[in-house]
Amino acid sequence: MAGSVAGVERAGAAGTAEGAERDGRPDRLGSGMRAGRRDESRAPWVRPLVALMVTAVFALPLYLVVVNVFKPGDDISGSPTSVPWPPTLDNLKAVMDRPDNLYWAGLLNSAEITVVSIVVLAVLSAMLGHYLCRTRSRFARLTLLVLLAGLMIPPQVILVPVVRILRLTHLMTTLSGMVAFNVGYYIPFGVFVFAGFIRSIPIELEEAAALDGAGRWRTFWTVVFPLLRPATASVLIFLGVWIWNDFLDPLIILGPVGGTTVTVGVYRALGEHQSDYGQLFGLMFLAALPVVIFYFLLQKHFVKGLTGGAVKG
Amino acid sequence: MTSMQDTRGPQRSALPRRANLGYFLGFGAPGLLFYACFVFAPLVLSVGYSFTNADAFLPHTKFTGFHNYVRLFQDPDFLMQIRVTAILTFIIVLVPNLGGLAIAVLLNRQGRLYRALRTVFFVPVVLSSVVVSVVWQAMLADGGLLDTVLKSLGVDDPPGWLSDPSIALYSVGSIASWQLLGFCTVVYLAGLQGVPDELLEAAAIDGAGRWTRFRRVTWPMLAPALTINTVMLLITGFKTYDFVQVITHGGPGSGTTATVAYSVIQTGFTENKTGLASAMAVVMLAIVAVVSSVALRLLQRREVEL
Repeated sequence: MAGSVAGVERAGAAGTAEGAERDGRPDRLGSGMRAGRRDESRAPWVRPLVALMVTAVFALPLYLVVVNVFKPGDDISGSPTSVPWPPTLDNLKAVMDRPDNLYWAGLLNSAEITVVSIVVLAVLSAMLGHYLCRTRSRFARLTLLVLLAGLMIPPQVILVPVVRILRLTHLMTTLSGMVAFNVGYYIPFGVFVFAGFIRSIPIELEEAAALDGAGRWRTFWTVVFPLLRPATASVLIFLGVWIWNDFLDPLIILGPVGGTTVTVGVYRALGEHQSDYGQLFGLMFLAALPVVIFYFLLQKHFVKGLTGGAVKG
Repeated sequence: MTSMQDTRGPQRSALPRRANLGYFLGFGAPGLLFYACFVFAPLVLSVGYSFTNADAFLPHTKFTGFHNYVRLFQDPDFLMQIRVTAILTFIIVLVPNLGGLAIAVLLNRQGRLYRALRTVFFVPVVLSSVVVSVVWQAMLADGGLLDTVLKSLGVDDPPGWLSDPSIALYSVGSIASWQLLGFCTVVYLAGLQGVPDELLEAAAIDGAGRWTRFRRVTWPMLAPALTINTVMLLITGFKTYDFVQVITHGGPGSGTTATVAYSVIQTGFTENKTGLASAMAVVMLAIVAVVSSVALRLLQRREVEL
């Protein structure tokens, strides 16, 4: 979030250089740019100005959180929109030094659940996707359909029986139980992404490996899986963000006894700090920071993974 | 596992049954086992429970046929939850779709400025809806940050964004729309980049104005983007839970923002009425499945016609 506000400012500074930069270059990106520019040449500053203003309004809530994290409590209700100067780290310190260790315990749980879940999911859904794409039987086709139908099942529909199953297997309120549920619930998405990629890999490659004496297992891991790298990246990124941000499932499955993730921690803290926005925002800021940094580092992958189907090929 | 070392080649049809079984056990079974345990079996169980009076506090579970379903459709609370969910879904499908399209058209230019602004719009998409809820709760609460700003601008009596029963639902819808807007923007931007310049040039030479060019050339080519956004928003809208749980708890008043998804969790986990909650869940799933597959079919047919 800090980055986004900084981004707006940086963009504002670059705004004047923008027009010059645009005119010198051939357009490769936007559609209608040449046709559009004819209309725009009359008032070239209108679009950047409108764009900046709309974005500023949109980003106002994010701005408010970021500035208030670094402000002492009294200033938050008094002048919420002011820039925090001098900035204070008291709110963040208070969150990290909480006696109940809510932040650190939550962070550790979130990290463990997210990392184990996405690694298991990437491996299992790549293999399952391979099996379902390379097997021509009615069973495989039907299974793929049943699996993909799982993409639109809301968690609320299955949670009551899921809890019974987890109790039966003594996995309720444990991190392993949480991971096991994540793997089952998100595997349709993984298979969906991998299946599209596996179909585009020529089967001759696998046949050649088999002729050279490699078994299915070796063929898959040494020939197929390395070719699936873009799909693996999509699966890891999207599921990583979803599982980190997940609220309902850990709330129910970990329960009050099984500890909490950092996301559920924000919800639990909300009850205590109704009026202490400083600490609440601090916790929220720290909980969201890993995902936001992750997003800024891997922006291109996010957009690519998301828009694969938006353009008709 | 030994059969996986099979070297007789990948022609599946030519392989003996045992090799296929090994392939299934090694590659297919582990993933399917998780899916079966945590999605498929629970789904079947949910449907099963919905025909019983299962209840955590009752020792004997009895088969009661369609009793739960009959009861639900005569229950004004449940009908209200369906209404709330429908209104919310309508807002969530409409606002981010329109807003995302407008922002995409606005930001569809090259350069550092527009790249930075596009980045900002996507930030809420990667945030947890719990975080988004807390941000907006702080903004919209009575005497919250928005009221402070409004008062400094001279508005003395701002409405109770989250405390007025006639407004709260629309506030929740706006919050969800704010979070989803960036998703739609990115999908529309990708669509816009697929519109060939030559086509727009040609239309401009033929004397088509801005609006005509958009309506006749750009918009039809955005059909696949519209399909993706609409179906995604429909599914997201129907299962709205987090915002309600964190911000309003179904209130203010009696159930003015209680969605079906929220009520399923309340009935199943707070009131422990497993049978009834399962029936609600099954109704919810049926609505999601029917509406989203009809929408998908209609939108895809539209893509083909264009």
